Order: sequence, then C-alpha cells, then structure tokens
Amino acid sequence: MNGVSILSVGIDIGTSTTSMVLSRIQMRNTASGFSVPQVCIVGSEIIYKSEIYTTPLVDGILIDTEKIRAILEKEYDKAGITPSMIQTGAVIITGESARKQNASLVTQTLSSFAGDFVVATAGPDLESVIAAKGAGAQQYSKEHSCVVANLDIGGGTTNIAVFHCGELCAKGCWDIGGRLVQVDRQKKVTYLSPRLPAIMKAAGVSLELGRTADWQELDRLCRVMAQVLEDTLKFTASKLCEEMRTAGSSRLTLSRPVEYITFSGGVADCVYSPQEDWFRFGDIGPILAHSIRESSLMRDYQVIPPKETIRATVVGAGSYTTSVSGSTITYTDESVFPVKNLPAFLLGRETEHQCLTGNDRNLREETEWFLEQNDCDNLLFCIQDIDSLSYRQLNLLADALCHTADSALGKEQTVMVLCRGDFAKALGQAMQRRLLDRKLVCIDSISVQFGDYIDIGRPLMNGMAVPVVVKTLLYG
Amino acid sequence: MRLKTLLAGQVYEFHSIKEVLAKANEQKSGDVLAGLAAASDSERIAAKEVLSNLLLSDLRNNPAVPYEEDDVTRIIQDGVNERIYDKIKNWTVSDLREWLMDYATTEEDIRRVSQGLTAEMIAAVAKLMSNLDLVYAANKIRIHTHCNTTMGKRGTLSTRLQPNHTTDNVEGITASLFEGLSYGVGDAVIGLNPVNDTAASAAEILKRFDEVKNKWQIPTQICVLAHITTQMEALRQGAPTDMIFQSIAGSQKGNEAFGFTTETMKQAQEMLRKNGTGTGPNVMYFETGQGSELSSGANFGYDQVVMEARCYGYAKHFSPFMVNTVVGFIGPEYLYDSKQVIRAGLEDHFMGKLTGIPMGCDCCYTNHMMADQNDIENLTVLLASAGCTYVIGVPASDDIMLNYQTNSYHDASAVREILGLRPIREFEEWLEKLGIMENGKLTSLAGDASLFTQRKGGLG
Amino acid sequence: MTDQKLIELVTQAVLAQLAGQPPAAPAQQPSAEETEPLADITDKAHKMAINIEHPVNRDALEQMKTKTPARIGVGKAGPRLKTATMLTLRADHAIARDAVFRDVDEQVLSDLNLFSVQTLCTERNEHLTRPDLGRQFSPETINQLKSKCESAPTVQIYVCDGLSSQAVDANARDVLPALMDGLKGYGIQTGTPFFVKFGRVPAMDVISEALGAQVTCVLIGERPGLATADSMSAYIAYKAAVGMPEARRTVVSNIHKGGIPAVEAGAHIATVIKTMLERKASGVDLQM
Repeated sequence: MNGVSILSVGIDIGTSTTSMVLSRIQMRNTASGFSVPQVCIVGSEIIYKSEIYTTPLVDGILIDTEKIRAILEKEYDKAGITPSMIQTGAVIITGESARKQNASLVTQTLSSFAGDFVVATAGPDLESVIAAKGAGAQQYSKEHSCVVANLDIGGGTTNIAVFHCGELCAKGCWDIGGRLVQVDRQKKVTYLSPRLPAIMKAAGVSLELGRTADWQELDRLCRVMAQVLEDTLKFTASKLCEEMRTAGSSRLTLSRPVEYITFSGGVADCVYSPQEDWFRFGDIGPILAHSIRESSLMRDYQVIPPKETIRATVVGAGSYTTSVSGSTITYTDESVFPVKNLPAFLLGRETEHQCLTGNDRNLREETEWFLEQNDCDNLLFCIQDIDSLSYRQLNLLADALCHTADSALGKEQTVMVLCRGDFAKALGQAMQRRLLDRKLVCIDSISVQFGDYIDIGRPLMNGMAVPVVVKTLLYG
Repeated sequence: MRLKTLLAGQVYEFHSIKEVLAKANEQKSGDVLAGLAAASDSERIAAKEVLSNLLLSDLRNNPAVPYEEDDVTRIIQDGVNERIYDKIKNWTVSDLREWLMDYATTEEDIRRVSQGLTAEMIAAVAKLMSNLDLVYAANKIRIHTHCNTTMGKRGTLSTRLQPNHTTDNVEGITASLFEGLSYGVGDAVIGLNPVNDTAASAAEILKRFDEVKNKWQIPTQICVLAHITTQMEALRQGAPTDMIFQSIAGSQKGNEAFGFTTETMKQAQEMLRKNGTGTGPNVMYFETGQGSELSSGANFGYDQVVMEARCYGYAKHFSPFMVNTVVGFIGPEYLYDSKQVIRAGLEDHFMGKLTGIPMGCDCCYTNHMMADQNDIENLTVLLASAGCTYVIGVPASDDIMLNYQTNSYHDASAVREILGLRPIREFEEWLEKLGIMENGKLTSLAGDASLFTQRKGGLG
Repeated sequence: MTDQKLIELVTQAVLAQLAGQPPAAPAQQPSAEETEPLADITDKAHKMAINIEHPVNRDALEQMKTKTPARIGVGKAGPRLKTATMLTLRADHAIARDAVFRDVDEQVLSDLNLFSVQTLCTERNEHLTRPDLGRQFSPETINQLKSKCESAPTVQIYVCDGLSSQAVDANARDVLPALMDGLKGYGIQTGTPFFVKFGRVPAMDVISEALGAQVTCVLIGERPGLATADSMSAYIAYKAAVGMPEARRTVVSNIHKGGIPAVEAGAHIATVIKTMLERKASGVDLQM
C-alpha cells in the first residue's frame, strides 16, 4: 500500500461566525523500496465548506453548545458524511476570551457528538499560526523565499503570524476586531467590548451603550486600532499595543522586516473590496477595514491576496493541524488509540543526557512532580534534545524510562514516549523487553514544546505511522 | 576467412570470429571477468591483425546472437540497405577504417555507408582504431535530431541537466534545476533519475519540470528517467513529458532483463505521438553502457564492445532524440581504471555516431574505480573534440542520488569556450535574454540559482 | 647597528654556513592563529555556506540548500569551480576511496565477538574486479563455518565488508546488537554471527545453504558515495539459495548517521525479519 487519505474536519467557532470544512489529507510512503518507509503528508484538498453561521450565543456571551451541535449535524448531513468517517481534525474556539468560558464544555460536547475525531482548542498563538497557514502565508513565504505576515482580523481579535521562507518566525494576538463595537441600523451602540476603553481613551472618544455613535467617532476609533497593528508590525510597541495584546499571547518579535502582508478573517474581505454600506454588518468591521486601507500598512508592505479570507482559520484547522509521526515506531496494542489530551512532559536537555549515563534520579523526581502539578494519571515522555543514540545509550535510556514508568505510573497506564530524533522503534523494542506485558507507545520525528498537549490517532498504512496533533489547551 | 596469423614468429590461431572480436579488444576488466580477453598483449595484436583482414560480409553473416532467436539482431539485419551493403561487403575491416580516415570521405559518404553496416562491423572497426582515430573519425559525423529544439549541429555541445535528489523531493529537485539553468546547462534535456519508480512520483516531478519550462519559456526537453512502463503510466494519467527514456541492451535477453520488449517500445512511441508534449519526430531517450549484458548474463559469449554496438543498432530503429553511454557507472569489474573508461567512452561515442544516432556521453566514475575527477575531465575534452552531442551536468560533479561523479554544471561552459562550441542556438538566445550568457561566455550573473526565484517569473 | 653586533651576525652566518645550515632567521614566535589547523573543508557548516557574492536573493539560496544535499550555491571562478568547492569534492572522494581500500578495524570484530572468514578473493583488488569470487568460499571455509556456527538457525546474521570497511566500523557495533535484541524480544532464535572479508551480497546464498538458515541477513558496507562513506545495507532473504532471483532479497539501505540511525535500523530489520518468517517470503514476494 503506497498511499492513503484521511478525512479531516476543521471547526472554527469565532467571536462572530462559526464554520466548518472537510478536507482530505493525503499521506504517502515517499521512501523507495530499498529504504525504511517514510510516510509523509503529501497534500490536502478541501472537499466541503459549510455556510458561515453567526455564532450562536446564550445571553450574548456564552457559546450555545446545543445550537452549535445542531449546525454541525445539519452540515455533516449536507456533506453526506457521518462522524464515524472522520479520522482527524480540530475544533478551534477563537476570539474574545469572554466567549471561551464554556469552551471546555463545548469541545466535550462536540467530541462526544463527533465520535472519534481529535478535538483541540487553541490558544491565541496557535490560532494565529493556523489562520496564517489557512490563508496561504506560509506557502507563499516558502515559494518566494520572503517574509510574509498574515493578519487575521476577526470580530474580537487580530491574529498575526509571520513566516520566513516557510518557517514560523513570530506570532501573537491583539484584541483588535470588527465587532468590538456593535451598532444597530440607527447607529445606536448595542455592544461595547470590555477591551474598548483603552482604545477610546487613546482616540479621545467615549461611546456609551444605547447612545448613537457618529461616523467620525467610529472612524477615529478604528484609526487607533489600525495604528496598533502598524506599530506592532514595526515593533515600535507602544503602550497601547502592549495593553491590547490578548492575554496568553506572545509578543511579536522579529529578526527581519516583514515584506509582504496577507489579510484574512472576516474584516479582510472589506479590506480587499471596500464596503459601500458602513453599517451593513451592525458593527465597525467595514470602518476598521477602511482605516487599514488608509494606513501605512498598505504603503509600507506589499499586500497580496490570501488563499482564504473569512475561512482561513477553519481551513487551517481542517488541513494544517495534523502531522504524521516517523515511520518506524513501536506500539504494543492498537486499542490504546486514539489518545487525547496527553500532556507533554519535556525531560529537558540535562535530564535526557543524565539518562544516557545511567542516572535516572532527576527523571523520576520530575515525573512525579509533573503528574502532581498537572493533576493527571499519565503523561507523554518527550525526548527532544537527543538526536541519535549508540546501542549502549539506548539501553540506558530504556532503563531510565522503564524504572520511572514503573515507579511513577499506575500499572494500568500505557507508557507513552515521543522523541524528536529517529529512534522510536529501537527505543520501543528495548523498553518492551523491560516492560513485558505493559502497554507501550513510542513514536518519533515530532517536535513539541513546553505546555503542549498531544492527540494521537489510529495507526495508518499497516501501522507504519500515526497521525499526531500537537496543541495547546485553553482550559484545564 | 582466415583466423590464423604469425606474429614475431609465433602462430596465433583463433577458433571463431567471436574469439577474434573479443581478443582484439583493448584491455577491459569486464572481458577478463567474462573469460574472453586476450591472454597477452601479443595475442591482442594478433587478434587485431586477423580482424583487420576479415570481410564485412564475414561479420554480417555472423551476428552475435542468431537472427531467429533475437529481435535486436533482426532489427539490425532488417535495417541494412542491401544496395549499399553490396558495394562494401567485400571491404576488409581495415579498408573500412582507412576509408573513414580518408580525406576524400565526407560526412555524407559516411552517413550513406552507415546504412549498410551492422553492429558487429562497427564494433570491429572500432577495435582497430586508436583513441585519436576514434576522435578523428567521429568528428566527421554530426547527427541532427529534433524534439522541441534541434540538437547535434556542428559547433554545438549540449548538456543534460540532471537535478537528481536522494528522496525525489520536488523542492530539492527544483533547487538543483535552477542552479543548473543558471550555469546555462540543460539544452539537451532536463532529465531526472528518480529514486521512486512510481507513476505518481514521476508525474509530480514532470509537472514541476513542465511548469518551470513554461513559466520561463525554456526552449528544451523534459523527461523523468523512470522505467519505461512507469513513464507510460504517468503519461496515461496525463503527466506532461516530451520524451520517454529507457536503458537498453544489445540482446533481446538483455532487454528482457531490463523489463521491456520491442513491443513496449513501439507502444511508448505511439503514446508520445498522441499525448506527449514534445513536437518530435524524435521522442525517445536511451542509455547504454559497456558490460550491462554480461551483468545480466545476456552477452552470449561476446565481448562488451560488440554488445554495446548492438545497443546502438537497436536504438537507431526508434529514431531517438538522444542516446548516451553511462560509461564509468558500472564499476571496476567491467572498466577497471581511467584508461579503460576513457577508451570505452571514445569507442562508444564513435560507434554511436557511425551507427547514425545522436550520441552523447555521461563521463562518470564510481568511488571504487581507479579514476578521479581529472580523468573524466580528460574524457570530456576528448569527446567534445570528437563532436560529442552532449554531456551531463550535476551540481559540482556530485550526483547525490546515483552516488557517482560526472561532469559539473561548470564543465560544459569551459569546454565550449576552449573549443569554440555553443549550446543549441534557441537555448543560447534564452540564456542571453536572462543575462546568463554573453558572447558564448557565462556572465557574472550566471551561477546564481536565486535568479529563478524572482517574483516576475517565479512559481505560484 | 653597532659594528660589534654586525660582526656577531656575520660570524653566526658564516658558522651556520660551515655547518651546512642556512643562517638562522630572527626568532619569531608563531601567532596563536598559525598554530591552529585550518577549518575542516568536509564539515557540514562549510558545505552549507553560500559562495556567491551578490545573489539576487540570499534567503532563497539558503532555503534551497536546506532542500537538497546537492552542492548548489557554490559560485564560480570564471567558468570553473572555486578552489574550496573543488578541494571539498576531492576530499570527499578521497575519504570514499579510503573507505573502500582499507580493512575493517579488528577491534570492532573483537568487540562484537565475531570470527572472520574470507571468500575466494585473496586481496582487495581482486575483490573489486572479481565479483564472481566474492560470492564463493573454499570447501575448508565452508567446513569452518559449519563447525563454528549453530546449524539450522531460524535467523543467520553476519557482517561483511562489501565495498566499505568504514561502514562496518561506523555501524556494526550499534546495528548488530540492536537487531539481535529485537529478534530476541520477538522470541526469534538467531545463529552464530561472524564476519566475511572480501564479500559480495550473493555470498549470503552460499552461507544460507551451508548453515540451513530459514532467514539469512547480511549487514554489508555499501559502495561509498561522496555524502558518506559510512553507509551500510542489510540484505535479507527467506531461504536464500544459490541462483535464486535477485528479486527475492529484501534490502534496507542507507544505514548511517545521516540516514536511518544504526540502532533504529537494527530494530526495523528485526520487524522485517519477523514479518518474513510469518509470511515465509522475502523481496518482491513480501510487500511490506
């Protein structure tokens, strides 16, 4: 068998809109017959795009889980699929943090509804990366060897990710969006974001709920917002930039100047094709787009069209969140998959190298501490520094991991190991000899960072590899 | 037919034309391995002497493999113009050699007589020629072929751009491709040896080659050198290809070991005529190399020069756009050192040209041979002097996928400059337009692959 | 300069000349820089450098270099290679040739507790030019194998120099025990491993027949390329027999630090052998 495709779903529940896409991710063994197999993702194709729905809310704040579920049921039906057909994917709840209070509940509900598929929820940084990939910024930077920044401007936030030659070099999120102020047909203010006062102050404007806003006021407000984005990209991080940065987001630090910009998100459409009717959407989106068009962003950078605008995040979630492990791996029992929300425990450089010399004291202590801190029963041992091992080192590492697993984990827990270097099969075999009947999963060629959570799907292509989603959890 | 001679008072007697042919060969480790080589230098010269007195009809009447058993023999024998053959059949091999050297013998004369020759005659005369003879005679002959451009005109030396990659990574291949183009390499063909012999992989690479060719409007040919059946499958699935490639051997059994038949070849040609992206009429690309028949046990007791000549007779039937010997690839058990490789390269090129095919050469060596970069540079200059149609170019001589060394992207332009040669005219004009070449020399802009990443002409 | 000093210098020079030595140059301490060796032209950093002075897009070139191990972005001197590119190429070739022409380190064999046998080839050059001899053993050697090795093993593994002794030195100590452990973990019995000098791949067919192994696996040095002289392959066959089609061999190639790491290769080969025993087939008959 030379190739497979897996069905992936992306679901984006944003501040203002909710949508879904289905994509087919193609995987192929790209190695020749004479080498060790190497399963790679060779392409993805979007096969269904849902309508774009207004995100259903309860009391104007919390996400209405039941209504979301109904939307998805309807869309699955229209697409002619059932949840059991879906093999991977991601749900992303984006936008203003207030809406995320019930994120955990939403994802749990969707997870049970959707059956098997992997459910993830992103933090602001990951959202930025996913939207930029969906917009095609990464691909453009790779194909043209240049620096591209994608600004995904939605209702509540602007997610920025910068790629240089296909590699992520900066990411962050700001509470700048088209629905921070909402108005009705008579321009009466119906909603003001709790994040707005700082902007109002900088703009010298004071809006009040129920009062009619005039165009000039809103324009001044939006110019300030555009200014925040300009300053952010130029790293002249003003106090206001700092203030408007979304909680949990990175600062944008860049080692080289941005050359190209793509805009995605709902407001992007108005940037690329200006709206005649300022209040068509009952918010400041079109005015914000106008301010951006007037700003130096359009002059100082080359602005290029994205592959997706409003759907960038959902396409990113559907097509770019799944990766694939190395193709020489070990697992003792297929029934342990899928594994969800496994916290990544990074051993760290020092501990890893101690293990190679036969010293596992730190590993054991840190493992116990990690389990306690995270209040969890199991974890994923992540070995990220070691590139390659000699036979002797392999056995010492296997000893250390097995002793630790025996002392720190419950007997019924599967021992889970992830390495960056290509040695999971050897390490897995060495551990299996020591662990005997205990369940074991050992995969490789995946990079993870502190604070990541990992989902691992069912084995692909005769068990050669497994699909992996590396994510950050918002709640927990 | 006399198979016996005196040499310095000693009698040398041979039992068959086969034995004479084999022992008349310059020393090759492959003939030693096959147990066919002359036991001494004296015996070798005695065999050459006997061979020089054989008639061309003796050779016609004794093909290496019987007519009834072998379609390579049938194709060669049936392709002989009998009227021309009748005029030369009583020439000795020595007569043929001296006729080729004669001032009065023109290119047109050779082209005509070529129609009356068989592979065994061509191999025989090569065995009587010194290295300079091989260069001198081959230089009289140019073979023109046309796919998208016309190759082989006097005054040109073309190059195959060979952007091979260890894993067929398309971006990696493209990087090597851009590098090669920036050195003015690739007027013969942009041709990749794939790692993965699958239609999907070949199609993916061909698609990229086609995109680059069209985007930059490069007047050249493209090809992925997978197995012939793989290329046909890719073509069936809609992949753009100008040519179809196959490695060929000098016997039907050898070709079967390569996994194809004459019927396969005809089908491939027909498919290209209908669905290929090349204009034609010449749309096939073949590679050969001394020793391949022995390695598949398909040499029928014949030496590697005779078997090689038979490849060319077979190739000619399909009017290929290009043919080259991969002369030093097979290893020291067939061609031991640089002396043998250089000799084989000159023989192969001469025999190909005399057969009437557009002969090029992959001047190469492996790391377990007694040869190095200096030796193949020697061979390249010799072959270019002999009017070789094309040579290969890879980044800094190192083919990372085939694990051998051949000419660098840098070599052709130096050789062209020394000998007053040029690329194919349309290709040179294209290079001039891009500012890579000026008055036949590389410019200071040349050698910068990032020329091809500029947005104006870039991909996407 | 005083006369006194001049006389001293002249005297010194004359004396030195009488002793057959050139006059001593004024003593000068070599600078710290001069005592340091020049940078290694075969290392990765050197090969990753872009040697073009004003490229249109340096980022693009750097990016391209990450996509292929080919020697691109090397620049030129007139139409020719720059000196550094040329010398690196020659250095890599020299290393590759040295890997072919030298013997396996005895220490490696003794560390692995391998005894040695030799094919019919008597020396390296014969090994290179007579592949037919590199697949045969004398009757005495066959007897020696039979007496020293366990007979009719489930899996017979041996190590062979092939075309790169260096590949054996670099990988055998990691591949062989990882492979043996892997098989042991699967409960598969292995025979007595040994080393074959001047061997070609088909020698495994003779060994398979002599010892009556179900699966035979040779860990053999590959013909060196310029990228690495360390690359090893495993050729594995189910019931290998003299004269069997080449297509019955399963190959795992590219075992070295930059390819598939040795321990991982050993683990992978163990799985391949396990499948081979289950399916009683190898090569094209065993679609993995």
